[in-house]
Amino acid sequence: MDEDIVRMTTADVARIIHIDQELCTGCQRCVAICPVDAIKGQKGQPQTICQERCVACGQCVQICSAYASIFDEDIAPREQKIAERGLLSSVKEPLFASYNCGDALKVKAALADSQLFTMVQCAPAVRVAIAEEFGLPWGSLVPGKIAAALRKLGCNRVYDTNFAADLTIMEEGSELIQRVTAGGTLPMFTSCCPAWVKYVEQTYPELIPHLSSCKSPQQMAGAIFKTYGTKVDRVEAERVFSISVMPCTCKKFECGRPEMDDSGYRDVDVVITTRELAQLIKDAEIDFLHLPEEEFDKPLGTYTGAASLFGVSGGVMEAALRTSYKLITRESIPEISIRSVRGGAGIRKASVKVGNWTLKVVVVSGLKNAKTVMEQIKAGKADFQFMEVMCCPAGCVSGGGQPKVLLPSDRPGAYVGRAANTYAHDENLRIRESHNNPDVQKLYKFFLGEPLGHESHHLLHTQYTSRK
Amino acid sequence: MSTNLNAFVVADPNKCIGCKVCEVACSVAHTDKEFVTAGMIDTPLIAKLYLVKTLAVTMPVQCRQCENAPCAQVCPVAAITQINDRIVIDETDCIGCKTCLMVCPFGAIDIVPVYRDGEMVSQSTLKVKTAEGFVEKERVVASKCDLCAGRSTSPACVTACPEKALEMIVPKQEKKQRNVDAAVNLLNYVKKFVE
Repeated sequence: MDEDIVRMTTADVARIIHIDQELCTGCQRCVAICPVDAIKGQKGQPQTICQERCVACGQCVQICSAYASIFDEDIAPREQKIAERGLLSSVKEPLFASYNCGDALKVKAALADSQLFTMVQCAPAVRVAIAEEFGLPWGSLVPGKIAAALRKLGCNRVYDTNFAADLTIMEEGSELIQRVTAGGTLPMFTSCCPAWVKYVEQTYPELIPHLSSCKSPQQMAGAIFKTYGTKVDRVEAERVFSISVMPCTCKKFECGRPEMDDSGYRDVDVVITTRELAQLIKDAEIDFLHLPEEEFDKPLGTYTGAASLFGVSGGVMEAALRTSYKLITRESIPEISIRSVRGGAGIRKASVKVGNWTLKVVVVSGLKNAKTVMEQIKAGKADFQFMEVMCCPAGCVSGGGQPKVLLPSDRPGAYVGRAANTYAHDENLRIRESHNNPDVQKLYKFFLGEPLGHESHHLLHTQYTSRK
Repeated sequence: MSTNLNAFVVADPNKCIGCKVCEVACSVAHTDKEFVTAGMIDTPLIAKLYLVKTLAVTMPVQCRQCENAPCAQVCPVAAITQINDRIVIDETDCIGCKTCLMVCPFGAIDIVPVYRDGEMVSQSTLKVKTAEGFVEKERVVASKCDLCAGRSTSPACVTACPEKALEMIVPKQEKKQRNVDAAVNLLNYVKKFVE
């Protein structure tokens, strides 16, 4: 197969978010929501995006309501716009001015290619949102239907980003403890949100050492698919095509970062959003609502409650605390649901007693809220050790690639529903701490060695670039 | 005879930013399915109000529910009637002749295709001659704001507008309020003058 046709290339990821100049009315609601002031223009005139500043979070895609009407006579035909946007020709939904370029066509082509062995991963926030595209209530939890649908679409292995979220916690928790005990750069920042990472690189490059060196779960999964995964499935790595389904548009940017090839190949070949997966399911005429539930494949689809929390703001923090507590005290955390890091406030501070000492943490949701904290850190006023930042207002459940909520009044309820079912998922899973994931334990035993070890460092950690 | 005047929705051009949420909300409120996400929509959005953008003004325009509705006066098949406090088009009777569209002083009426269960409704008799032979012609009907008849809350566009630029005007209440405002203003003016 011609690599340029299907796999992500750097050219693809340079420009992800666009504003259709024919459709934009210049209402500037996107300008107001953009966390990095990347959208510019005159009021009442079509807006443009500064691609260097854009962190590809897709919040403008979510809020835009200027659409192509069938009564607009002086605009390009729908077929042309569908092609420009990389959408499947079967897509029927209205076309809005602000959009992200799609990759469902690449996935469709890869799934039809018998030479490729497709391994797919599905992020935690996808399972509490995709059913909305098929008419179920806000936040309906459908991991079993997603696994079944991905299998029906023809994926050879239906794995899960949640497995890699557990793996991330093993590495990130260990890194935090190492920095605290051996004197590394503190406070440590989470590095799971690619929009946040790009923001640090372009706005606060001097604070890059604070970022955890851990790759995001998406990239860890990709690197493990093409190494350990190839051994499990007895398949040549060059045949493996790594697909990810994400609630996030910036994940397309992340997977194309030049350094994300530690497996010897592109760790993730193509990223589609929750919306794009729904489009693929409709395109294949799969009756999603009546699919019998299926399991994700083992071992790289086994996950804990902690992993599912990555979909909500404060979730990575909560998952990391559960495991850090165990790593430090050798005991399980007494109260497993850590409510002090949950909630909707833009900046939340909490203290967690871990054995004889107190770990101070900060959770930031909504990139607009990051600046205040970053300035404090720059001024040497940080009195905490660990900080989680998620770009989107309610965490990944409100990501730019999630089902687009049509009316502004529905948005809060949608996010509350998605978050509530994320917590319910955690509570209903038998194992709720990442270090107790049996297949993660096996991965360390038979392949990686130990967290922060040589192989882990090579495959699961990365470095960042100043973009100032 | 009823002395009640029909209510209508009107936008404040000073507040409207032209985002078209009103059009989206209107379209969604008038489909036969309950749409909540963009991905669920499988037919074109067809609103019953129209965002107007000129150099001087940006605002949606919609039906004023005219008391002596010219559209009803000219409808050759009497498909337009007054029901309760609104002017209503009976889509089953409408023949798509466009006369109402021509006489409406506000351009508040459009002729639109009909969708049912995600499919465009075709006519049974009238065919269109194409290169591939005769094909069915879609059924079109006159369409205009019906104040979201059947909705228990205020019209969808009013609720959805993020700038609160749209308002349902109930003429008698509006007139009374304006009288009250005028009286208060006059009183304040006189007070200032006396002081």
